[in-house]
Amino acid sequence: MIVPLSHVLILAGILFSLGLVCLLVWRANLIMMLIGIEIMLNAAILAFVGGSAAWGNADGQVFALFIIAMTSAEVSLALALVVYLHRRKKTVDSDEFHELGE
Amino acid sequence: MEQIIFYILAAVVVIATLFAVSERHPVHAIIYLASSFFGLAAIFYLLLAPLAAVFEVIIYAGAIMVLFLFVIMMLDLGHPEKVKRPAFRDWWPVLLVSLVNLASFAVLTAMPYSGTPAVPAHIDIRGFAVVLFRNYGVAVEIISLQLLFALVGALYLGRRR
Amino acid sequence: MNLFLPLIPILPILAGTFIALAGMRLPRRISSLVASGAVAGSFIASLCAFFPYRSPASLDLFRWLAAFDLEAPFSLYFDPLAAVMCLMVTFVSGIILVYSHAYMRGEGDYARFFSLMSLFVGSMLLLVLAGNLPLLFLGWEGVGFCSYGLIGFWYREEQNADAGRKAFLVTRIGDMAFGVAIFWLFSLCGTLSINEINGMAALLPAGVVTAVGFLLLGGAMGKSAQMPLMVWLPDAMAGPTPVSALIHAATMVTAGVYLLIRFFPLVGLSAEACAAIAVTGGITAFYAASCALVQRDLKRILAYSTMSQIGYMMLGVGCGALTAATFHLLVHSFYKSLLFLGAGCVISALHHEQDIFRMGGVRKSLPGVYWPFLAGAACLAGLPLTGGFFSKDGILAAVFARGGFLYGSLYCLALVTALLTVVYTFRMVFVVFHGEGQAGAGTSRLMARVLIPLALLGLFGELINLPEYLGMGSWLGTFFLPLTPAGHSSLSPVLELALQALAAVIALAGLAFAHRRYAGDRWRNRPEFIAPKLAVFLQNGWYFDALYRTLFVRPFERGAGFLSRWVEKELAIGGPDRVAEFTARGGELLGRWSGGRISPYLFSFAAGAALLLGYLAWSVF
Repeated sequence: MIVPLSHVLILAGILFSLGLVCLLVWRANLIMMLIGIEIMLNAAILAFVGGSAAWGNADGQVFALFIIAMTSAEVSLALALVVYLHRRKKTVDSDEFHELGE
Repeated sequence: MEQIIFYILAAVVVIATLFAVSERHPVHAIIYLASSFFGLAAIFYLLLAPLAAVFEVIIYAGAIMVLFLFVIMMLDLGHPEKVKRPAFRDWWPVLLVSLVNLASFAVLTAMPYSGTPAVPAHIDIRGFAVVLFRNYGVAVEIISLQLLFALVGALYLGRRR
Repeated sequence: MNLFLPLIPILPILAGTFIALAGMRLPRRISSLVASGAVAGSFIASLCAFFPYRSPASLDLFRWLAAFDLEAPFSLYFDPLAAVMCLMVTFVSGIILVYSHAYMRGEGDYARFFSLMSLFVGSMLLLVLAGNLPLLFLGWEGVGFCSYGLIGFWYREEQNADAGRKAFLVTRIGDMAFGVAIFWLFSLCGTLSINEINGMAALLPAGVVTAVGFLLLGGAMGKSAQMPLMVWLPDAMAGPTPVSALIHAATMVTAGVYLLIRFFPLVGLSAEACAAIAVTGGITAFYAASCALVQRDLKRILAYSTMSQIGYMMLGVGCGALTAATFHLLVHSFYKSLLFLGAGCVISALHHEQDIFRMGGVRKSLPGVYWPFLAGAACLAGLPLTGGFFSKDGILAAVFARGGFLYGSLYCLALVTALLTVVYTFRMVFVVFHGEGQAGAGTSRLMARVLIPLALLGLFGELINLPEYLGMGSWLGTFFLPLTPAGHSSLSPVLELALQALAAVIALAGLAFAHRRYAGDRWRNRPEFIAPKLAVFLQNGWYFDALYRTLFVRPFERGAGFLSRWVEKELAIGGPDRVAEFTARGGELLGRWSGGRISPYLFSFAAGAALLLGYLAWSVF
């Protein structure tokens, strides 16, 4: 392995934090929230691949593939939701959708 | 040699992600993100996972990001001036939280862990496919079903009344 | 005697309670009849207890206070001092109650008046007859309360209520000193009985005796309106005139002197305490006489004169002349109440006019009041051969006999005060009764008639305490023999005669000056014979009221205002308000956490995850 596993994991951690930051800062904007989620998922994929490389296993890569596949399904649903909500209130501001609270 | 490339690629990924996070225009953010994914794919290749790299590029940077762009264009969200710009008082708690997270990651990953790092064997496509379909065959089926669910759900939600 | 002794205080107290409960529903005559009758009954009981008197007697009625060491039964003690005080109090009170039947004829609230008066007389008798300190203090407080109620009788006018309050508060300061003395005496002697304390007096250390003496003096100062607690007496004239006559001439203000005489076996052991008493008395006498010189209100002149004469009594007590002081107390109560009642006749006849410069010529319209009033004034001034002359001279002789620098200067001060006394007394008489003036309404015959017995007593009161050189012996002196302290120096007859002649000369000189200045109408051009600025200073009581206001009242008011505004409004009331507001706002803020939006949820999620991760990392670290 070209770099120690911990470095890979730290990179994954940084990416995860950045994704979390994007998610939390842009709490008001649905699209940016989804982008943040994507970044976080990518960080997870990196962690898996790194683990696979560290232990010479294929399982990590298999899981990376699974995550990618699942993400695509999730994204399509999420974007369909965004389209639907936009059709209802003409905005992607998440603060506008508060009917569930009082 | 590959180490240096790895670190350069890591820097590229992080910087691109940073730009993506702090960008107001969604299309610009998507583009930055796509470039970050490209860098990530290169890292995967360096980590002896070429399949993962290819899939990353094709599916993630290719399909998903494009889907994002479709939706943005369709909903005409490309006007950054109409977006509520997060002020500093939104940024700093988040930075604090992520800093805590990062510190915890660092501490946890620096811990010694068991398991001897074996000499990594280069995993070729055949070996990968064997593991995928032999050990995780059920999961493959389920994921294909999941794709079906997503399709149906998206169709339903996107219906025009 | 065992039968009569308890009746003396109980009859007026019962009468007072009865009138308080049922008086308003019954006709007015019933209330005043019950009150006068009860006091008359007390007088008869006093007489019946007095005639067979042989030796001091103590009577325990019932168990009152009893806990651990503290034993204070309801015990009455009858000795010469208590006997003469009872007789005087009941007699004067009876006369005044008869007088007030006519004086208060047009007033509402008659039941309150008569019940308070009866309760007052009962408390005073209880005070006089008390055999132990708690009972004395009970009577003490009782007279204080009734005095407050009676001074502020017409409470609907604010200044009357203020005067009552002022009297109560100022005497309270003295009462506090007295209370401390009671506690201290109990802790020292283990008993509260007056006789036992007096008996143990010789065993106490000298410094303690002095301190207790000063505390008792403090209590006496408050009740008897001596300096520095004298500011309440002139304002107390806001009450009805019978009240002034009873309380502020004959009874309550003498309670302080009575207390000191009663505790003289204890107090007399300390030369400093005696000197303090004498100095207090002497200075107050001079102060009050100087203020009375320029007063315009008839009752205020009489109030200041009371203060001055009580100063004389204290002076006598301070010199150890208990007989002389008691004699002066008795005679003073007769002629002072006479003067007050006469003043009441004049005031009500002139339609409640109290400014003497607007009266005049009352001699012609009210001759029945003039002659007794003149008799009383003669006693007050100490004109020769009146009871007042002999009583005042007895005290002066005792002061002179003490000798020493302090008592010598007090003697001179007392002589000057005597001169001032004559001047202001006859200034009052001439301005009110002589000269030209308006004709007022007549006065009730009852009110005028009751003045006569008092006048006779004042004029001929000296018969009970004739000076020794006349050879007939003093009845009061022998009666008081058990009480007088040993080693009492007496003067030679020649010296005593010389002092009396000096006093007589001073009295007559003052009378001549007053006559020259104030008889006729010449004085109307320039009413005062003193420089105007000095007159204003004296008229305001040497500005003691203003001094006390700056020293005590103003800081207190400011402190109270500060506390009211900052502590009470801001902290005590505003505090909980602000806490409630804060809690409400906090609740509102918390409520925003779980509104319907996902932003807070997301952030909380991330924060929770960060906390968990941080904890994991920390535990592994």
